[in-house]
Amino acid sequence: MSGTLLLTRLALRQDRVLVAVWTLALTAFCYASAAATPSLYANAAERASAARAINDNPAVVALYGPILDVHSAGELAMTKATVLYAVFVALLGMILVRRHTRTDEESGRTELVSAGVVGRHAPLTAAMLAVSVVFLVIGLLAALADIAGGLAVGGSLLFGLSWLLLGLTGSAAALVAAQLVPSARTCAAIAGGIIGLLYLLRAVGDTSAAPLSWLTPFGWATRLRAWSDPRWWVLSLYVVLLVAMVALAFTLRARRDLGAGLVAARPGPAVGAPRLRNSLALELRLHRGMLIGWSVSVLAMGALMGAIAPGVSGMLTGQAAQEMIRRLGGPGNLERTLIAAEASIAALVVTAFAISVVAHAAHDEQNGIAERTLSTGATRRSLLGSTVAVAACGALWLSLASGLGVAVGYHRDIAPVLLSVLAAAPAVLVVIAVCVLGWALHPAWYVAGWVALGLSIVAGQIAELLGLPTWVGGISPYSHLALVPSEAFRVLPAVVLLLIAVAVGAVAWLSYRRRDIG
Amino acid sequence: MTTPVVSVKGLVKTFGRFRALDGLDLEVGTGEVHGFLGPNGAGKSTTIRCLLGLLRSDGGAASVFGLDPWRDIAAIHGRLAYVPGDVTLWPNLTGGEIIDLLLRLRGVDPQASDRDALVERFQLDPTKRGRAYSKGNRQKVALIAAFAGPAELLILDEPTSGLDPLMEEIFGDCVAERAGNGTTVLLSSHILSEVEHLAERVTIIRDGKAVETGSLAELRHLRRTTIAAELPHVPPDLSALADVHDVQVDGSHVRCSVGPDGVAAVLRALGEAGATAITSAPPSLEELFLDAYRTGGFETVAGAPSSANDS
Repeated sequence: MSGTLLLTRLALRQDRVLVAVWTLALTAFCYASAAATPSLYANAAERASAARAINDNPAVVALYGPILDVHSAGELAMTKATVLYAVFVALLGMILVRRHTRTDEESGRTELVSAGVVGRHAPLTAAMLAVSVVFLVIGLLAALADIAGGLAVGGSLLFGLSWLLLGLTGSAAALVAAQLVPSARTCAAIAGGIIGLLYLLRAVGDTSAAPLSWLTPFGWATRLRAWSDPRWWVLSLYVVLLVAMVALAFTLRARRDLGAGLVAARPGPAVGAPRLRNSLALELRLHRGMLIGWSVSVLAMGALMGAIAPGVSGMLTGQAAQEMIRRLGGPGNLERTLIAAEASIAALVVTAFAISVVAHAAHDEQNGIAERTLSTGATRRSLLGSTVAVAACGALWLSLASGLGVAVGYHRDIAPVLLSVLAAAPAVLVVIAVCVLGWALHPAWYVAGWVALGLSIVAGQIAELLGLPTWVGGISPYSHLALVPSEAFRVLPAVVLLLIAVAVGAVAWLSYRRRDIG
Repeated sequence: MTTPVVSVKGLVKTFGRFRALDGLDLEVGTGEVHGFLGPNGAGKSTTIRCLLGLLRSDGGAASVFGLDPWRDIAAIHGRLAYVPGDVTLWPNLTGGEIIDLLLRLRGVDPQASDRDALVERFQLDPTKRGRAYSKGNRQKVALIAAFAGPAELLILDEPTSGLDPLMEEIFGDCVAERAGNGTTVLLSSHILSEVEHLAERVTIIRDGKAVETGSLAELRHLRRTTIAAELPHVPPDLSALADVHDVQVDGSHVRCSVGPDGVAAVLRALGEAGATAITSAPPSLEELFLDAYRTGGFETVAGAPSSANDS
């Protein structure tokens, strides 16, 4: 274990900006949610009816999980934080652990460090120690924010603890994934896939098959009942899972060589396929594996959500629920609301794919690969063009794939389902354009894409909680589009967003053709 | 008089407040192997990136094949091949795939190229993935891709870093073969011996400026010859002669460096003293190189400008 503490400090130092931004955002969200609840609901009865309304809307339950005690103020205030925002906590863990394990290993930094007096398991231990510190801070600040916002002390602390544990779960998932494959990118895909699957499993469980929610740490977060009558023993589930995953990672690490995956690398083709002859073919080849993986995932996610849609109205038996179904225009419309909700999540997911394509191109510029490509017949136009083409067309294809998945699961009204996923395309293209613009200005500024996506997710909710003017929520391009199929498609916002995307893209091209490479 | 393949006059490139190139001059004639020498950070790679149109210059003029490297990028790149000093490969493509890709991107059909012969010659395993190659093997991938197809100009930026001596020799053969076929080569390096063997003319740069340029013969003319002699008895006092420096006497053995004006006198003196063996060696590029770095402003052969922006 020698060197571990030194590596831990090194890791924390590298992470300080990312962690600070993330912590600030999450803490602010907790405080805003806690503080806003008393002003939104005048008394206990109003709170209870709001909680019941959430429970009666399967789309909301699929996103945030149910409210188990409708009389609990804390549970209502923290609906979004308990599960959905916990996904961001878990993702942070994944990002940090991958950075300090497989990314360092792939770049050769681990080799440099390992030559010093550092044990074989030190990098893994250091990564887990570093994220433990990070999530201890985040959990504690989240709890303090809740208490400051006026929520119960015990519940707040337990809630903070659930974030700590979910953050560590995401971290441990990345720790295991990092032992399996030599590529940091594949590692992110595996760990991200695990987190996504656990979230999805809970969505299915919470809306139609309750026992399934007990199989996932995100389901445990709700079932911990932090705010009312806590089930302390649920914490032990996390501990068992964490110990098992970390032990698995360490065992796998002991069985493999530095820099290698579990499976020894096999020789590949000695010559290139004739197809692989231009930037576009290269870009497709580089993202082939990722495209296949994402396609399968969104298809599966869509099929699951489609399959549970027809069942949800049957589950709603309460008076308020029947009232809401009537208001929505019958059970058919309730199903459409759920499908529209699935489509809006899919829109965010496919945007993340597109951003990762642009990020890859930006990284290739930073590490000198773009210089190689551009010193041949490939031009800047073909490089930028093929990156944008794969990002945008890939995102549209994935939207379609998720729609196909829903259609397969739902097997009725296929046309509106397919329309629902494509309706969000203009907003997806705007975020892609922002990401490309960032890259076109400076190879490290592709991060603008992630910022734009993050803001799109939180802007509306933060504006609502803090009572900010409505245009703040309007920052999100997604907020301007109709929720097809529960609402009718609106042409004007779609056209305006498309024009914005084209304009931003044009500025990006003007910048990219003029600047230095590398 | 043909136009030079590469012509750079008073090139300036700044990164923020840092002047990476400060009025650089460089001229590479058709069919010439031109050594481009300088210590780390002198601006060699920056110059090459400007020539490739990857960086936009802030002043001065540069042309490749008489074309503007920034504007006519596609036309220029179709005629050249480039090997960077620090080769990064796509981690999940095999070496063979990368070589073929780079050739195809240049418009060369890999099957009609010298690829297979070069893979054999450089002893590269083309079935390994990019991430599995060592530094030297990554370099080989880039070199094979550059040498396999026809090119009018080879731009090689410290191309032998990481290669073992055997591979360095093969690299030298490849450069000589291409040069024999009329290919122009711009060879940047800080390894002097490889340039000395291959280059006809050299440009030495320092802090973004050319401090020396000319043929090796021209440069040698400026510098001193090392003369060593074995004598039957204690040697005469050579240090009194004109243009003789660094005289070292070790018993009956004497060694000194002599400028062009002193050679005849030294040889005469040694002959009169009854020398039994005399060796003379031309100054190695190493000495030229170190001298150019140490002093910076010593005799300039082909008029490197003293101010940065005149072009």
